[in-house]
Amino acid sequence: MRKTVLICCGTGCRANGSMAVADAIRKAIREAGAAADAVAQVKTTGCNGFCENGPIVKVMPDNITYYKVKPRDAGEIIEKTVMAGETVSRLLYKNEAGERVRSQEENPFYAQQKKIALSAIGQIDPENIEDYIEIGGYEALKKALAMTPDEIISEVEKSNLRGRGGAGFPTGRKWRTAAGYDNYPKYVVCNGDEGDPGAFMDRSVLEGDPHAVIEGLAIAALAIGAEEGFFYIRDEYDLAVKHIKKAIEDAKARGILGDSVMGSGHKLNLSVVRGGGAFICGESTALMASIEGRVGEPRAKYIRSVQRGLWNQPTVLNNVETLANIPYIINNGGEAFAKIGTKGSSGTKVFALVGKVKRTGLVEVPMGTTLRHLIYDIGGGIIGDRPFKAVQTGGPSGGCIPESMLDLEVDFDTLSSYGAMMGSGGMIVMDDRSCMVEVARYYTQFLCEESCGKCTPCREGLRRMLEILTDICEGRGREGDLELLERIGHTLQDSSLCSLGKSAPNPVLTTIKYFRSEYEAHIREKRCPAGVCRSLTSFGIDKEKCIGCDLCAKGCPAGAISGQKKEPHEIDPGICIACGSCREACRFDAVITLGKGAARE
Amino acid sequence: MIEIQINGKTCTCEPGEFLLKVAARNGIYIPTLCHHEGVGEQGCCRLCLAEVVERGRSRIVVSCVFPVEKPIEVYTDSERVRENRAVVLMLLKERAPESEEIARLCEEYQAIDGSRFKALDNEKCIMCGLCARACQSLGTGAIATVGRGTGKKVSTPYDEPSKDCVGCLSCARICPTGAIPYKQDEKERRIWDRSFTLVRCESCGEIIGTREELLLAAERGGREPDTLCASCRQKQMADVLAHTYGLE
Ligand SMILES: Cc1cc2nc3c(=O)[nH]c(=O)nc-3n(C[C@H](O)[C@H](O)[C@H](O)COP(=O)(O)O)c2cc1C
Ligand code: SF4
Ligand code: SF4
Ligand code: FES
Repeated sequence: MRKTVLICCGTGCRANGSMAVADAIRKAIREAGAAADAVAQVKTTGCNGFCENGPIVKVMPDNITYYKVKPRDAGEIIEKTVMAGETVSRLLYKNEAGERVRSQEENPFYAQQKKIALSAIGQIDPENIEDYIEIGGYEALKKALAMTPDEIISEVEKSNLRGRGGAGFPTGRKWRTAAGYDNYPKYVVCNGDEGDPGAFMDRSVLEGDPHAVIEGLAIAALAIGAEEGFFYIRDEYDLAVKHIKKAIEDAKARGILGDSVMGSGHKLNLSVVRGGGAFICGESTALMASIEGRVGEPRAKYIRSVQRGLWNQPTVLNNVETLANIPYIINNGGEAFAKIGTKGSSGTKVFALVGKVKRTGLVEVPMGTTLRHLIYDIGGGIIGDRPFKAVQTGGPSGGCIPESMLDLEVDFDTLSSYGAMMGSGGMIVMDDRSCMVEVARYYTQFLCEESCGKCTPCREGLRRMLEILTDICEGRGREGDLELLERIGHTLQDSSLCSLGKSAPNPVLTTIKYFRSEYEAHIREKRCPAGVCRSLTSFGIDKEKCIGCDLCAKGCPAGAISGQKKEPHEIDPGICIACGSCREACRFDAVITLGKGAARE
Repeated sequence: MIEIQINGKTCTCEPGEFLLKVAARNGIYIPTLCHHEGVGEQGCCRLCLAEVVERGRSRIVVSCVFPVEKPIEVYTDSERVRENRAVVLMLLKERAPESEEIARLCEEYQAIDGSRFKALDNEKCIMCGLCARACQSLGTGAIATVGRGTGKKVSTPYDEPSKDCVGCLSCARICPTGAIPYKQDEKERRIWDRSFTLVRCESCGEIIGTREELLLAAERGGREPDTLCASCRQKQMADVLAHTYGLE
């Protein structure tokens, strides 16, 4: 059987040099001669989601996956694995028990995932429409063409699919409402703006499986009676734009899009609009203003876009991942989808698991998976086995969840009821060396800069919340600050114009709720317990624990540490700039975190 | 026609009518800043808040852009409205400490104490955007709101004197806080870094506008630029009529 070498060429692996690996593999095949050429075909694929271990190379059907592959490994992979069916052990993933695992399925990072939206990514060449068709692509569209709009919508309703862009609005209901208006033209739009820092769920889908999103959008268009659609894609996403554009062209050339969708007589034209370059442009009304060529600012949403959206016409806007689930639902039926996940939140969700976990990357799991499972089983736990402190979910305006809530099931409603949110799937894990006040300050600053500045609560409220948080982090916190933060925060939730402002206080309100004592230590004792806020921190060395290895002194940028080798070291508080390098460097936990006051005493 | 309750009073309105308008028609006053009849709605100052209760669920809306579509209960002075407004007004005061209008509203609606904050220096503008919208609706579009977040401001393109400005003062006059500075003497008006020659009424000598403003109006109306002020023009009209019809 002919073997396929799949080389991950998602943005992450490309950054790690996967294009050079692909070249080297092709070259190795040529050099190995006709025999190799006969057995091997090479495909570059989308992101496998485990970028920190990239470039990733898979050999099928042997189902062997190699990680951190270098161009110099190419010859060996071709010679041993492709031609002789042997594994190159050193390139396999090593699990917790230290065993090398052959297949992706045995890798603990992948073993517990369930892939729907990401299912084809890593298997197919996203630039090749034949690859997509070979695995059953566009079957759902064909099926939908034989259904009435009402039947399509009923199937989506039965699936209980809710929007993956953050708000979790039932997709079927959205389509049903838009289908109900007799006002043409109508539009369908795919939201690929993905402005959350650190998120790359939608980018991976657009890059790695563009036809699935096109198919989803085309089915939405059939359901509501739209003949025109747009992909609104974040400006920085060059590869995603390239792949979607190529996919649209190829689909058109094959008669899947255009004047007669698969010969049905239905017309559908899709095009790409590059994002306006601001976080707020992902908000539905701002996004539509931006497509129309106006400034990307939200408007009051008392009249919904399904009624009056783009150019005041009925418009359905769906997130990339939402649309990527549609072909599965049409192919397998809404009920099959509804069986996955929880009652209120069906299906799977893709998360970008990052921060202080051992394994980071894109993971797709059934809704209702616990945070603990995500962080400890899939993520492998905290780096260096340090204590877990919090996980920030839902992007910059998500909330911070403490250890006591790790057994919560992640879905739309559970996290929201605790003041956090699942949002679009960002998940940042923090250990005990993260200061929750600083975390709140950081997100508030981001949102303050990204607010469109149109309405008073958001623009001025965030300015003032940031002022208080900066004061607290720099030792100028006062009694009454927390109450004032809460009052302003509640006003933002109640009175802001759009969801950016309404959700912006989440990081502050959740950290006050779950980590209040940490705020109080900053305000009352002028101490940052996590040793992060420099104005409130100094470091010392525990003489009992220090073995005099001198690692801390070598790493200190200020030259504040002195001591003889093998003798306990000492930090000069007058010189220490509280950067924390020594704490990171010490392998014996001998660097202790003190308040600024303690250093002065 | 739909019936709604505002503060317990039954009011009727057409579906889609803005709540602010319905309230006003029924003698219920709701304070506003960024709302102005005839200038496109934005709903950005968030002063005109009201609490809307629908099927037992309560939420805060801004009445200037909230279309009434269903029979609802509205409260314009509930605890929740007062709290939100008190915070919004404090925020506006720290933003525009020089504005007397804001200070007055803060007093009237008991804004919360904002003395903890560093108020902006020398600022009167509350970023309501009315000026830019007024300029836009005249078709001049010489000023716009630019930037985002706390850095948002009203300015001419690239902060350069705008060639589109005709010095009509629409922006300065519509501004609820009097934040747009301009200077005027006998001959000249200065606004947005440009100066404009003033034209006086040929009959009474009253200032009738800048030359650019009169030219623009004439061009739009397809007529010669005005040379008389409104009242002299009326008088002249009456004289012409009297002469024509011999009503001396
Ligand atoms: C500030 C802000 C930014 C947003 N950014 C995105 C985004 O990047 N991508 C996205 O799909 N939805 C984003 N949303 C949500 C959209 O407004 C909208 O709810 C979503 O695209 C609808 O699609 P869905 O129902 O399939 O989730 C954002 C919302 C807000 C308030
Ligand atoms: S809430 Fe923030 S982002 Fe939304 S309209 Fe108001 S200022 Fe703009
Ligand atoms: S200058 Fe006046 S009208 Fe213009 S935005 Fe500022 S407050 Fe509003
Ligand atoms: S008057 Fe309604 S928001 Fe400003």
